[in-house]
Amino acid sequence: MSKIKLQSSDGETFEVEIEIAKCSVTIKTMLEDLGMDEDEEEVVPLPNVNSAILRKVIQWATYHKDDPPPPEDDENKEKRTDDISSWDADFLKVDQGTLFELILAANYLDIKGLLDVTCKTVANMIKGKAPEEIRKTFNIKNDFTASEEEQVRKENEWCEEK
Amino acid sequence: MSSISAQGVVERASAELSKRINGLGLRKHHSAKGSVMERVTNVFCGGSNAAVAAPEKPSRLLPTRLKTTPNSITIFPQKKHRPLPLHLTLDQLFLDEQFLNKFFSYFTPYDRCILAQVCTKWRDILYRSPRYWTGLVPVLQCRELRNSLGNDRARLYSSLLGRGFHNLCLMGASDEDAIDLVNTFPLASKHIHTISLRCSSITDRGLESLLDHLQALYELELAGCNEITEAGLWACLNPRIVALTLTDCINVADEAVGAVAQLLPALYEFSLQAYHVTDAALGYFSPKQSNSLNVLRLHSCWEITNHGVVNIVHSLPNLTALSLSGCSKITDDGVELIAENLQKLRSLDLSWCPRITDSALEYIACDLNQLEELTLDRCVHITDIGIGYISTMLSLSALYLRWCSQIRDFGLQHLCGMRNLQILSLAGCPLLTSSGLSSLIQLRHMQELELTNCPGASRELFDYLREHLPRCLVIE
Repeated sequence: MSKIKLQSSDGETFEVEIEIAKCSVTIKTMLEDLGMDEDEEEVVPLPNVNSAILRKVIQWATYHKDDPPPPEDDENKEKRTDDISSWDADFLKVDQGTLFELILAANYLDIKGLLDVTCKTVANMIKGKAPEEIRKTFNIKNDFTASEEEQVRKENEWCEEK
Repeated sequence: MSSISAQGVVERASAELSKRINGLGLRKHHSAKGSVMERVTNVFCGGSNAAVAAPEKPSRLLPTRLKTTPNSITIFPQKKHRPLPLHLTLDQLFLDEQFLNKFFSYFTPYDRCILAQVCTKWRDILYRSPRYWTGLVPVLQCRELRNSLGNDRARLYSSLLGRGFHNLCLMGASDEDAIDLVNTFPLASKHIHTISLRCSSITDRGLESLLDHLQALYELELAGCNEITEAGLWACLNPRIVALTLTDCINVADEAVGAVAQLLPALYEFSLQAYHVTDAALGYFSPKQSNSLNVLRLHSCWEITNHGVVNIVHSLPNLTALSLSGCSKITDDGVELIAENLQKLRSLDLSWCPRITDSALEYIACDLNQLEELTLDRCVHITDIGIGYISTMLSLSALYLRWCSQIRDFGLQHLCGMRNLQILSLAGCPLLTSSGLSSLIQLRHMQELELTNCPGASRELFDYLREHLPRCLVIE
């Protein structure tokens, strides 16, 4: 099995099977665009992912390498969040900072399955929280004026499930 | 059973509508993305939209993205011009529209009501897409609303319309509130398709002005409106209405059913909860309605007997869904009439009909070959023998047996042969044991299994079921 080297932002190199690395659409595209031969000993730099996160990403991708390709996204369909596998749930028992970094890396590397399961975890984390708690969690500024805030509250507090 | 309800029809129509509206929005959105300002911003600030690797419309996005390459990965020698995604910081990520649209899809419409209150960016992204709000209804608390400024009310209405709501519920509405809505919400006449009035003191006069205004209305609900009279219904019901619900309105009796039968020739779905409606009223339906009326729900119509069932099967032979929940005078003979005459039934609800026994289930199993959903909650006389009859029904995909207190493990053995079963509730069945319930893992197509208040359902059992039925939602 041919391998490539991935280099994290802090300079650490990881040797990975090409097929595993290619679960990242970003890396796959890079390899195709650059026409990298599989026997070349090239190093793919990933200047936006540090070694701790890259190690986690590779661990995830290695475990899931034989998964069937994820189904096409249907944005109209509401996704379940209660179907995280127990391996993934254990894998994501990390502090909030690491979890967010993983989302960021999955988004940048375009790894659909990892983005999916990390988003689910964060969604479960903030479900049932008040707007102010959510702002704190994501470090988002409340930019509503007082009257806008009152308006948006009414518009939403009065919505019920059919 | 959404596929056979009027609501289903209405929802499909409005989904189609919003798809088109979305389509328009999307196109606008794309061209906006290609604006000069945006490109310049991308070049200098690294753009927040470029973080996706597989754009759907590369021809449009490419120019924008090409210009962003210089600051994406300069250290990388490029042989072709396919740019790589830009890296966002954490703070950017949670304000990035592309990411947020993905992220918001992990929430229910109800959860999104909280998310929209986080910041203007989140609100704007969520409000722009009607698909985020399907399944919700805005419930206007009239007592609070009438104390706000007229301008604020007008703004509230237009915001709701902007989010794609075509339904509205008025809680505690008086005649004045109804007339105020007519005046401050002119667009309602074209855009409101569904209205509910709940716990309202509205009189015939207010209801008439409201329904006069709502020219696109095809679904009406009146719940707990005790001032509305039968004469009022005669005056205001109009033939556009295809779905009608009358619940807990004290003046509703046989005459009201007469008005419905006369004035609503296109009625598709009729739900009625009225203690004083008698058997005679169920004979009023016209030949036109015998074709159009598909769904009839009679909830807790205590006066109804088997004679009423005779009238139903004669006047409405084309029903696909029937509920007699809480019509407690119905006996096995009534069910026999239903089974023999309503062959198109796909959904039957006989919950809280305590006189029904195993014989009724034999009639159902013999004759209702298209039945997909059967509800028998609180039918306390049915036993494992009846369950045996039901288990022969190949078409059945949903079965509710909540608080059927005589069912034992032996009955479960029958159920395990029902390979098409997708939804099963055994909530509150006291005699089922842990080992009996564990045999349910044979039902491989199960999507939802409800075992609330089952003494036999232990922690170990839930773990076991979840392990063997990974795609099934097991409700504790």
